[in-house]
Amino acid sequence: MVQRPRLTRTRLFAGMFLAAGAFVAAGAAAQSDEEGFPIEHETIRARCAACHLPDSEGRMSRISFERKTPEGWQTSLQRMIALNGVTLAPEEAREIVKYLSDRQGLAPEELRPGLFEVEKRMIDHRYLADTDVEFTCIQCHSMGRVITQRRTREEWELLMSTHRGYYPLTDFQAFLRMGPTPDQPGPDGEPPDTRQPMERAVDHLSEVFPLHTPEWAAWSATMRPPRLEGTWVLSGHQPGRGALYGTVTMGGGGERDAFVTRAGYTFPASGETVARRGRGLVYTGYQWRGRSFESDEADGAMREVMVVERDMNEISGRWFRGDYDEIGMDVRLTRLTGSPVVAGVHPRALQLGGGEREVRIFGAGFADGVGPGDVDLGPGLTVNRVVSASSEEIALNVTLAPDAIPGGRDVFVGGASLAGAVVVHDGIDRIQVLPRTGMARVGGIVFPKGYQQFEAVAFDDGPDGRPSSDDDLELGPIEVDWSLEEYAATFDDNDIDFVGSIDRTGLFVPAVDGPNPDRDRNRNNVGDVWVVATLAQDDNGDRPLRARAHLVVTVPLYLLFDAGANVSTGASPDPAASPNGRGSRTPGPNPGMGGSPK
Amino acid sequence: MALKPINRKADRMVTYLEHQGAVPPAEQMAGPVDPAGANAGVDENAEDVVALGGRLPEIPEIPHIPLGCSLVFAPGWEVDEAGGTAGLCQPVERDLFDCHLACFWPAHVPDQLNHSPDWTGKCAAAQNDWRKLEMIFP
Ligand code: HEC
Ligand code: HEC
Repeated sequence: MVQRPRLTRTRLFAGMFLAAGAFVAAGAAAQSDEEGFPIEHETIRARCAACHLPDSEGRMSRISFERKTPEGWQTSLQRMIALNGVTLAPEEAREIVKYLSDRQGLAPEELRPGLFEVEKRMIDHRYLADTDVEFTCIQCHSMGRVITQRRTREEWELLMSTHRGYYPLTDFQAFLRMGPTPDQPGPDGEPPDTRQPMERAVDHLSEVFPLHTPEWAAWSATMRPPRLEGTWVLSGHQPGRGALYGTVTMGGGGERDAFVTRAGYTFPASGETVARRGRGLVYTGYQWRGRSFESDEADGAMREVMVVERDMNEISGRWFRGDYDEIGMDVRLTRLTGSPVVAGVHPRALQLGGGEREVRIFGAGFADGVGPGDVDLGPGLTVNRVVSASSEEIALNVTLAPDAIPGGRDVFVGGASLAGAVVVHDGIDRIQVLPRTGMARVGGIVFPKGYQQFEAVAFDDGPDGRPSSDDDLELGPIEVDWSLEEYAATFDDNDIDFVGSIDRTGLFVPAVDGPNPDRDRNRNNVGDVWVVATLAQDDNGDRPLRARAHLVVTVPLYLLFDAGANVSTGASPDPAASPNGRGSRTPGPNPGMGGSPK
Repeated sequence: MALKPINRKADRMVTYLEHQGAVPPAEQMAGPVDPAGANAGVDENAEDVVALGGRLPEIPEIPHIPLGCSLVFAPGWEVDEAGGTAGLCQPVERDLFDCHLACFWPAHVPDQLNHSPDWTGKCAAAQNDWRKLEMIFP
């Protein structure tokens, strides 16, 4: 059994004094040997200088010695408002975040490893540069929050004080070593590292994430307002719905770095089409933050986080919604410059055998009067005729030769091409469920549900006939039958009866939050289950193919540090609100397949 | 309005609060909070949900270790050491209030020291407000 640490009142207060003392005091003077960034923004000078004193160079304590993403600046501002009594009008707050993100942001190369944080991706991230520091810093939040900041050494130190001051338990939980100081050489013969975990973190972080870097110097020299007006070819993928193709048109949004958008796209797998309009703002010359809607602002709202490539001809990222930002799609925008662009082909996987079939090419800028001779699908694929053609979609009648060699084919249309746009295969040998581990959160009564979308991807074993080898052909998402199976974590496990259900698109819908009196010790409807995909092989009588993924159905977040999702934070843990964990209150709308989202 | 304990643990908490200002009993000040046996006699299967009706009085400054909260901090709130849910503190409502008091999960549960001293009361609403102040997405 783990020994619980002892906490005394004195210790708690020691922490709190730290909160009051160490913070702002270490301001301009202490850091004057470091080149901070002068602040030339009226509102910041007016609203922040009372506590963050400017020096003769216009540098303000704390603020001038950090660089962050827009999200990072927002977190700090929200804390100034919540804990330090700052009041700001929404307009002022936005101006400040914009100014600071532009003047003290991250260069594109600096942001890349931490993109998952701002794109709100639930990934298994490992920070390998120092796994001890990683361990210290991922106890409460993702390492993404750390690697998307740059600071002077002093600022990294102050950040440690901030944690310890606000959250006195941090010392016991992560920042201080609990056992005795090591005094024996390590296995490598090196003398023991006697630093406290937080000292080690400061040493490491100030070395790898300093305030000034060549990347930032170079980027701030060339950074400019991006010119994104025009038409973009959109291609993307949404788990559960498959590939999507369309266009996005951008116009000026009336102010610097602001744009308005119109998007139209199709999911070829279902034929469903979507039209959205929205607006976006570009931070630091390349970080797109947008919001778009299907019809009105309440319906289908999605947030957009994207990176504009340096050449301003590619933009890519993630559009998402859901109370935990969990429902989203990967998108890529390619600028349409006059010549055609191929975005994708449906179906992408073409199985040997069978006669003529229809194949549709999606993109933009296709010339009028495309003939079979203008399209080249590669060896073994003959285009018999063009069934229909528009500037954005060409439907073809195609024959696949029985002896076509399995493998990917680049596709050419007019002057445009797309590598590996179709793949020829001789049958599905194996399927895989993605993500390999998923997480959902119970909800629907006090807190919103956190959904998890699964998808099954098919593979051909490739020429060597061996599964999971380098020559395997990925055939893309396929329709399967979904089910749940018990993941035996404890004796007599019966989680499967409580955690929720999975629909035919692979969307797991968790059960409600609150203690459940029907469960042993009133457990919540949490649990571990297998999510199982089954593909019947009806054509040749083979056994069905199966694959599974681990799903953790867990508790809600009672707090979100990110405003956008509007999770109702601070709800009282009053069981009256959820009398039996299976309350009659209907859960929120299903954000799944095109339904009315939140 | 007073707190209405509906179970043992809430009851203990109320006893604390009633003695606000008085020196808490020594074993509650510094003792290991739940050494084996401290909960002896408590029927673990009995409803041990912390339920506090009404509003919390001002700042209960008690050194309080969250009973039953997973002290294994890696990875944490969502999953236990084995990456599953079997070892989580359950039901979560049972220890939520303790987690709040000690700021045990500051990134998951509103903390009493700073962000939401009066979680069950009006500050919850205020907290919502500042979080809703969106600054990034146009
Ligand atoms: C009433 C005093 C006060 C005012 C006014 C104030 N701050 Fe702060 N600020 C603090 C304190 C105290 C800290 C240190 C504790 C913390 O980080 O919460 C701090 C820390 C910071 C930090 C460092 C946080 C980090 O990343 O570690 C930033 C950035 C910051 N403030 C920005 C601002 C901005 C921008 C304004 C004006 C809109 C502002 N502050 C106004 C008191 C204030
Ligand atoms: C005990 C839990 C805990 C641990 C451990 C922890 N953090 Fe935090 N951290 C938080 C919380 C909670 C916040 C949000 C504070 C707020 O905004 O009120 C935060 C915020 C931050 C921020 C954003 C602050 C800002 O204003 O920009 C950074 C950066 C950060 N942590 C870095 C670290 C690093 C580096 C480590 C490891 C040395 C670490 N954290 C370990 C709980 C923790």
